[in-house]
Amino acid sequence: MSELELGLRTGAILVLLAGGVFFTFVSAVGVIRLPDVYARAHTASQTDTLGAGLVVGAVVLTYGFETEVIKAVLLLVFIFITNPTAAHAAARAAYVEGIEPWTEGEERR
Amino acid sequence: MLVPVGESVTLRQTVGYAVGVAEETDASAIHFVVPVAWHSAGDVEPAVRREVETLLDRVQVWAREDASGTTPAVETAIIGEEQYMFSPDDYAGVLADYADAHGVERIVVDPEYSPGGNVPLLRAMEVSLVERGYTVEEAPVETPVRRSRLTRPGGAVQFGLLFAVSFLFYQLLGGFAIVTGDTFDLFYELVTGTIAAGIVAGSLHRVTMSERPRLRRLGVQLVRLSLYVPYLLYEIVKSNILITFIILHPRLPIEPRLTRVRVAVWGGSPLTTLANSITLTPGTLTVRADGQYLYVHALFPSAREGLFAGTLERAVRFVYYGRAAAAVATPEERGDTELLQRPEEDADAGASVRSGEGSSEETRREGERSEEARTEDERSEEARTRDDRSDDDRTPPGDGGGA
Repeated sequence: MSELELGLRTGAILVLLAGGVFFTFVSAVGVIRLPDVYARAHTASQTDTLGAGLVVGAVVLTYGFETEVIKAVLLLVFIFITNPTAAHAAARAAYVEGIEPWTEGEERR
Repeated sequence: MLVPVGESVTLRQTVGYAVGVAEETDASAIHFVVPVAWHSAGDVEPAVRREVETLLDRVQVWAREDASGTTPAVETAIIGEEQYMFSPDDYAGVLADYADAHGVERIVVDPEYSPGGNVPLLRAMEVSLVERGYTVEEAPVETPVRRSRLTRPGGAVQFGLLFAVSFLFYQLLGGFAIVTGDTFDLFYELVTGTIAAGIVAGSLHRVTMSERPRLRRLGVQLVRLSLYVPYLLYEIVKSNILITFIILHPRLPIEPRLTRVRVAVWGGSPLTTLANSITLTPGTLTVRADGQYLYVHALFPSAREGLFAGTLERAVRFVYYGRAAAAVATPEERGDTELLQRPEEDADAGASVRSGEGSSEETRREGERSEEARTEDERSEEARTRDDRSDDDRTPPGDGGGA
């Protein structure tokens, strides 16, 4: 592998990682800033979609296209299935408890 | 004598017992009734009605079969059609009305009968009936050895399919050493893979598939799914960027609303796929699924519009039913969308704001007819209160429809 190629690859990995960290960070900010349980559940799914997605992308690039990549992608598939289920469970619990969604102008809770 | 009936494993025995008791006590007639809650039946009402009717026919035939000599008259009826039945007491009330109308005092129930579908209502209903002064008696049936509810009849197709998937998955985790490795690897992977997949398929082939898989259709759906996934990823990225903007915006321009959408996909896995996709897309979150209704929390107006425009729904229909089915009207055009301000109980009390004008069909069924007339007023009312409330302009761009 030429030096240029290595440099490009490292750069791409860094960009992907930075993106993943950024979106995870934004998601954490969202959990703090958003006003109620429903709204927070929205942003939690962000971590797992773009956050984890970009990091897995970085893993793929790091390993090159080898068997570990398959596992990384499988990981992503499972996250994509389990994450909405968990978010849904949390939101549904709130709904069943009768918690009213926050609307504009109300107190944060 | 009154016997509320429904599909159950011990129905046959209950009918036999009821006929026996009726003959012993010289009852003049046996009434077999099916309390139905059509309101939960939605679109499938004719099919459900037919099912109930065949059930009653069957019961009638059985009753005649069991009757000897002094045959009591056998009557069947569908009751509670006009009522909203939800609690055990509602069911008891409907039964009591029928019993009074026909001068019945003795009620025989099938212990396996479940009036509320999966919701266990029977015992409470019995108590409520006893409190109303009826003689309630459970038929002494022998429950047949109950098969676990999870298992379904499975055959070679289920086994084969599950075996193939498990075997592939095993090889996938093993990095396909079966192809890339040497002879030892080949045998090793082959033997261990077969054992593992055999255990999985053997123990689970009766559990995993809800219906007999049709391989060709499954294949076509898989191909369509592979087209759907990139589209879903695109949607996810798009809304991720939007929600990032909103979260980092100093004023946090959100306008969360609980919405209810009657989606045009049918059955377990399409509905699950759609609900999961909606939740995966930041900005919309499936809160509850109730039959064909999805309760979706939308964080900002454009997410709501996207939901009502039904792009994901259309894509899911494409995956499961093909291109022709994808062309159904959007939920908004169908009038299947609705804004709820809060969880349902309050919304039903009149706080819900409708978004589509065409939702009259649903309105009538829910018995909220008066609400439609109020919609316009309420909507402007709501807009006013919102303006009053917000000190700064929280309304993000693209919000034309709210006010």
